[in-house]
Amino acid sequence: MKRYLQMVGRMDWVMFAAMVLLAVGSVLFIYSASYRGPGQEMPDLYRQQMVWFGIGLGLYVVTALVDYRVICQWGMMWLIAGIGSLVLVLAVGTTVNGARSWLGWGGFGIQPAEFVKLCVIVALAYYLFHRSPETRRQWSTVIGSLALVGAPVVLILAQPDLGSAMVLVPICYGMAFVGGARVKHLVLVAVAGVLLSPLAWTQLKDYQKARLTVFLHPEKDPVGSAWNLNQSLIAVGSGGLTGKGYLQGTQNLLGYLPRTVAPNDFLFSVIAEEQGFVGSVAVIGLYAVILFSGLRIAMQARDRLGTLLATGVVAMFFFHVFINIGMTIGLMPITGLPLPLLSYGGSFVLASMTALGLLQNVWIHRRIY
Amino acid sequence: MIISSPATQFNPRVFALGLIVAGGLVILLLALARVQLFHAAHFDQREEAQSLRRIRVPSTRGEIRDRHGRVLADNRPSYDIVIYLEQLPRESKKFDVVRAAGQTLGTLSRALNRPVTLSDRDVRIHYARRRPIPLPVWQDVPVGTMAAFVERASTLPGADLIVTPVRQYPFGSLAAHALGYVNRDRAASDDEALEQYYYYQPDTVGKQGVERSLDEWLRGSPGGRTIRVSPGGTMVGEVAEKPAERGHTVTLTLDVRVQQLTEAALAAAPLRPGQPLRGAAVVLEVETGEVLALASVPGFDPNLFHPGGAAEPVRALFADLNRPMLNRAYGGLYAPGSTFKPITLLAALESGRSHVEDTVTCGGSLPIGNRSFGCWKREGHGTVNGMEAMRRSCDVWYYQKGMATGVEAIERMARQFGLGQPTGFDIGTEYAGLVPSAAWKRRERGERWWDGDTAQLAIGQSFLLVTPVQMAVVAAALANGGTVLRPFLVKRIETAAGALVRETKPEVRGRVNVSARNMELVRQSLLGAVGEADGTAHRAHLPGLRVAGKTGTAEFDLSEGGQRRRINRAWFIGFAPYEKPRYAVAVMLEEADGGGYTAAPVAQRIFAGLFGREPVEVAGGGGD
Repeated sequence: MKRYLQMVGRMDWVMFAAMVLLAVGSVLFIYSASYRGPGQEMPDLYRQQMVWFGIGLGLYVVTALVDYRVICQWGMMWLIAGIGSLVLVLAVGTTVNGARSWLGWGGFGIQPAEFVKLCVIVALAYYLFHRSPETRRQWSTVIGSLALVGAPVVLILAQPDLGSAMVLVPICYGMAFVGGARVKHLVLVAVAGVLLSPLAWTQLKDYQKARLTVFLHPEKDPVGSAWNLNQSLIAVGSGGLTGKGYLQGTQNLLGYLPRTVAPNDFLFSVIAEEQGFVGSVAVIGLYAVILFSGLRIAMQARDRLGTLLATGVVAMFFFHVFINIGMTIGLMPITGLPLPLLSYGGSFVLASMTALGLLQNVWIHRRIY
Repeated sequence: MIISSPATQFNPRVFALGLIVAGGLVILLLALARVQLFHAAHFDQREEAQSLRRIRVPSTRGEIRDRHGRVLADNRPSYDIVIYLEQLPRESKKFDVVRAAGQTLGTLSRALNRPVTLSDRDVRIHYARRRPIPLPVWQDVPVGTMAAFVERASTLPGADLIVTPVRQYPFGSLAAHALGYVNRDRAASDDEALEQYYYYQPDTVGKQGVERSLDEWLRGSPGGRTIRVSPGGTMVGEVAEKPAERGHTVTLTLDVRVQQLTEAALAAAPLRPGQPLRGAAVVLEVETGEVLALASVPGFDPNLFHPGGAAEPVRALFADLNRPMLNRAYGGLYAPGSTFKPITLLAALESGRSHVEDTVTCGGSLPIGNRSFGCWKREGHGTVNGMEAMRRSCDVWYYQKGMATGVEAIERMARQFGLGQPTGFDIGTEYAGLVPSAAWKRRERGERWWDGDTAQLAIGQSFLLVTPVQMAVVAAALANGGTVLRPFLVKRIETAAGALVRETKPEVRGRVNVSARNMELVRQSLLGAVGEADGTAHRAHLPGLRVAGKTGTAEFDLSEGGQRRRINRAWFIGFAPYEKPRYAVAVMLEEADGGGYTAAPVAQRIFAGLFGREPVEVAGGGGD
């Protein structure tokens, strides 16, 4: 018991604080995004989110304290379990918004794809860790890493959930890069991927194509696919320097920013509208704390396994943050990727906190005691 | 547990990854700064454009009052039954608004026993464009309907009773042409661009008379409410409100009593069956030019024009061949006939070539050139001097003296009295009239001016055209010794709170350049025309009051309904009391026996009313 308390004492508290602040912000602005005016009934999403944070904190502690080398010794089993859950979801999952992505028991449901991201990180870390300094520089490092994420990508695309499937690719790339793959190989494979992308394009559903391209011409289709983007842009832009004030964002309150997406995919727009550029900087600042803490952990990890794990988590976070915020201001296509810790959604909250638990784990165990 | 060896302390690849992450975050910050700092104003505008709507609130029109403060036009409440489309009970969001409105309208219609005149299209357009403002179903409902509605109102969500101001004219048709009327401003509400940003509630706009001429003073300034709407267009809150400003109060020179008695006098004109009552009468204050009465018959009731009213009576007004909407006081042109003779006489006396003592023997006609010009009195007046010729209106005397004076001198004199040009009357669009000259005839008709033309001009025929208002100004100038005043109807404009904005001062437009002696001779001759038993204007005579005046009967070839017939315009101009004139009167009837028989009795009634006397039957007089 004392050992565990000592481990808690060795935690990266700054990163923990950033996580808690984001969680508090999440509850506050999910409240705002569901607020309808004084005395009006509103969905209690913010309470549900609090419950998720509670559960997430438990997972966080457990993941942080059980030595990552113990977790990773079943490396490939995690991946197999993840793939199994994805197969299961395709078989018996529930369809929400056109994607068969939910596994539910009664009123309780999770999206396995979010957890599969973690499984992929652990499995990739295991795989890359076990490559010798000689074999790392071979083609097989890149090919093998991609092959490893291939099954999950295909299964998630089959739901279809384009965003979550896409996340796996930069995670894989980031880890392979840090894991010692040759840059030349990485670049050549990337070029090949770009050349093959028209083929993938034909496989997309129409709404996915529309969402992917609308950010290039938001004025073209102002009431259809571009509605969300335009309203998000107006929300963010009209926030100005200091914002309209908490519960004062008209884009949010009046429902111009659609209420179906404001608490999750577009929560950043709500924050940016109500807190302005100052709020945006604060959010990005908190993510910067987490990301650079993660990179420091990767740098100072006791072994390559820890470095790879930390790299995977940082890559996942960074990709989510960049795509999500970029999407609210038209910088990136609308892919439905949530903002870690802020966006409403149980599965991703749990996955994010577990991922941060892993980072803490690597940090706590960075020295041999 | 995996047994591992420690990693090296510096990992360049992790460092490179850190650079990518830092770069990504900087890109996000820069992009956010661009949107939130540099383009914030643009997105603010877009936010307002899509969520703010301005509702225009029409102002209440200002009052119009007579000189003693009696209200000629103000506003009364109109009780309108309306529905708020966004508050209608609907089973679901998808439920069609037209069906929802149809249900409520049906219930209302049965309960109030009134037919629904709104179409589905009306409902849909209103829903699309003006959702937060009420859709009127029935305007200006009677008290009974109102009561029936109020009883059921609680069971009908979305239906409401609202009060809107409606223009009313408490005296009905009194002075209708002077006051004018109001109508909805259709031109503005059709403006699509305006509706984009406004929920437009149209103003009323003045269409004739004072209502039109002083529209910008009377209409006040509209207020506005800025409301916030949801993406569906439903009102969610009010952002700002600016109350409408009530229009200014306009006080006229008109006197309700004088206007009433003038209209009554016209209505009592002794016309024969078949002679339609069409004419005008004007009463001026001699010293100031203030218009005490401005009447035109037939008239109309301006109350008919209110927006909830029936369309048929209004259409009938405009279709009527008697043209009740025409203001004959300054909107009609007529030959003045013998009422022009005072001007001819003054010109003749001023020329020095004629004197009132000059006698002419009238045998009923005068040959000029190869034509014979008749006197109105076929049997002739015998030998008459200038005074008698005015009194008995002998045409032959005027033919001769007019030709001796010449067209130029007569034309000059007419122009000095203000004929042939607008009087400067302050409302409406008045005619300038026409004073012919040799040059005019050459230019317009391509003919030379004949002596016969001069003879005709001398008795107020030929090409001469005047308005009743112009002749009232002539009468006033004869009364006050030659001062030509600008007639005016608007005395004062004040704000609704009572602060004076503008006040009209009497304005002298010119002075008739004649000797006092000649002016006095002419005035005396006019006194005789009314006062003496053989004066043609004797029927304007009132015992105990010295009225001076002149009748006129101008022949006119009327073509109406494809037929031409010769009718007489009947005129009277005059003033009283002779010693210290106060009122000048001009009466014109478009179709009558003649000035002496028809117009003079009308004038007598007006003078009787002005001086608080009873009109009396006067024998004698008559004729031209």
